[in-house]
Amino acid sequence: MNSGSDSDSFDEGDLTARGRKAKGKSGSRANEKGKQKAKDQGYAWEATYTRSWDTVQEDEAGSLTGAVAELLARGRRRRLLAPAAAIRRTIIRHLVLLLDLSAAMSDRDMRPTRFDLSLEYAREFITEWFDQNPLGQIGIVGMRGGIGERVCEMSGNPQDVLKAISERHKLEPIGEPSLQNAIEMARSSMSHLPTHSSREMLVIFGSLTTVDPGNIYETLSSCVKDRIRISLVALAAETKICRELCDKTGGTFGVAMNEGHFKDLLFELIPPPAQQHTGAGAGGKMSADLMMMGFPQRLPDTAPAALCVCHAQMRAAGFLCPRCGARLCDAPTDCDVCGLMIVSSPHLARSYHHLFPVKPYSVVTTLDGVTSTTCHACARPLEDTPSANVSEGVSPFDRYRCQDCKSDFCTECDVFVHDVLHCCPGCET
Amino acid sequence: MDRSCHLSLIIDLSPSQWHLSAQPTNPHPLSFQTFLSLVLTFLNSHIAAKHENTLAVFGALPGKSTMLYSSLDADSSNTNDPPADANSYRPFKFVNTIVTKNIQKELDLLEGLTEEPPVTLVGALTMALCYINRLAHPPPGSVATETTTEADARILILSVSPDLSASYIPVMNSIFSAQKLRVTIDVCKVYGEETVFLQQAAHLTGGSYIYLERRDAFLQYLTMSFLPPPSIRHMMAVPRQDKVDFRAACFCHKNIVDIGFVCSVCLSIFCSPVPVCSTCRTKFPMKTLQRLNASRPSIPPANGVSNGSPRPPSARPSQGMSASLR
Repeated sequence: MNSGSDSDSFDEGDLTARGRKAKGKSGSRANEKGKQKAKDQGYAWEATYTRSWDTVQEDEAGSLTGAVAELLARGRRRRLLAPAAAIRRTIIRHLVLLLDLSAAMSDRDMRPTRFDLSLEYAREFITEWFDQNPLGQIGIVGMRGGIGERVCEMSGNPQDVLKAISERHKLEPIGEPSLQNAIEMARSSMSHLPTHSSREMLVIFGSLTTVDPGNIYETLSSCVKDRIRISLVALAAETKICRELCDKTGGTFGVAMNEGHFKDLLFELIPPPAQQHTGAGAGGKMSADLMMMGFPQRLPDTAPAALCVCHAQMRAAGFLCPRCGARLCDAPTDCDVCGLMIVSSPHLARSYHHLFPVKPYSVVTTLDGVTSTTCHACARPLEDTPSANVSEGVSPFDRYRCQDCKSDFCTECDVFVHDVLHCCPGCET
Repeated sequence: MDRSCHLSLIIDLSPSQWHLSAQPTNPHPLSFQTFLSLVLTFLNSHIAAKHENTLAVFGALPGKSTMLYSSLDADSSNTNDPPADANSYRPFKFVNTIVTKNIQKELDLLEGLTEEPPVTLVGALTMALCYINRLAHPPPGSVATETTTEADARILILSVSPDLSASYIPVMNSIFSAQKLRVTIDVCKVYGEETVFLQQAAHLTGGSYIYLERRDAFLQYLTMSFLPPPSIRHMMAVPRQDKVDFRAACFCHKNIVDIGFVCSVCLSIFCSPVPVCSTCRTKFPMKTLQRLNASRPSIPPANGVSNGSPRPPSARPSQGMSASLR
């Protein structure tokens, strides 16, 4: 797509016709010219805007290998910079997702529209969030027509939450958003939560304005008092009140520059945050609590079918609440009859990697005393000649060493072990 | 459907367990020699099933895991070619020779050991996952062949050793990474008691767990259940384990609990409300204890004894966990 056509809007049919036409015209030169023109005559506010495609530089051979390596190195450095000291993470999380459903969301500066993209990313976010925080709960509040709208009650079941935002036509963007109304609504739904769980809000905000019935700073201070962490991803631009909401409550604020960046900003909020101190009142002590949980019996597929309490449908497979014997479709959830928290042991195990992370591997800069010739994990042959001009934090030999078991790993495995596997292949043997 | 597939085979090479398995007092004694020849037949049929099929073999030895064969690296190392044999198909001969030679080499290294450390399957399992991850991300320099990137991969574990409770967390982590990579884990328990961890691994990744009852029919089990790739399994009635115990055992008495009390900080499970978490030393507020004691079901908790279910081996780490928290 050439950059000239980015600014005007057209429908899908038009798009393909245009694409074909441009291709037919063998437009590589025309394209080049158009890009050049757009760069020269850009708006003033675009000057400080870094385009993602400008930061990626090809090397002399026209290859992108260097740029990719640089990206990898950045990820490594970020991991090394993470605090080594033990931090207590909140494993039990409660999050309210505040979706902007105002007219500003129908802007097409993000393809296809801000609204469609937000919905799509929200779905991916929810799936991934529940994957990493199986004991958490998510609720959804929409902002449109000047009021807050409860789209989904707090629920620990990803299917319920996803179902609430699956019907696009029910969430059609209209009117002005109201930050204050929506935040107050989300706040009231979290007021009963126990202190050991986190209370978080994530706002996806496309508008530059908000219509509030009162002073939003009062809402802000009550959120601070309730220890609610507000994070906000703005789709348009930074505004003072948005920045302040996040800074005062200990959340993160970001403005999405493009589709990819938007997703990154959202997904950064998935790993459980470090627990905040509960303030001076409690003597700075962190709160902890004992929770009662039920471990259900799983019914095999061949069990006689019966009505489930959650959907009132005939089902064979399912779980039995250990306290009241109600039949539930999914775990983890809260029992609909007696309110007991129902989990199965793999759900608890899913959170363990946050509690016992793999230590970062050190960078091997010299081959003195190295005996292994292959990666310990995947048996990939490792380089023995240093590659030139590597950035800081990257091994010239593509070797990373575990400090505990002294095994060497390749870059690919280093990333895989720390991001996915969460246990060191060398230390386990 | 007609895609190539990758098989990572993990062989449990615990000398003592194999010695026990070969005892003539067993109903169906299976010696390691017989086992190996059957496994090699199975590997040959996997290679023969499709030309693009790839293979990796890992060995879990006492206190060590090692790669025994990989079709990716084997092609380049032509130096140790097996002698040409007019009576055998070359690729078969190649796999058989390398696998046998490497097992022999590793077992010879064990000679000097006086005491046998327990076999950790997890090491081999994590290596297999890293290897599959490597297949999914070929290095940028090489030509990415479609077969490697699109192949559906699976792991088959041939286990003879019992569960190791210290490896609960790594096993679970491996299971979740396998889910992410869409890798199926199949388990064949060749000898010894049922292992809960591997049952869970097979169940959570959609594989099948088979306890070998007739060990004289081992090859038939292998070919009928584990040779077809996961993509066509739904058309064949491959036996699966339907009943998997997902209940948890408490950290304090190792009882199987229906309703447990969980520490919000480290997720340790207790069978009754306790004032201090024994794992992370967190103190719990008095108010919760009173509330929880009051709301406990009045009927005595059925700690898995009353309903007659046998107690599986401790499905939870207690030592490993407290050690790593300190």
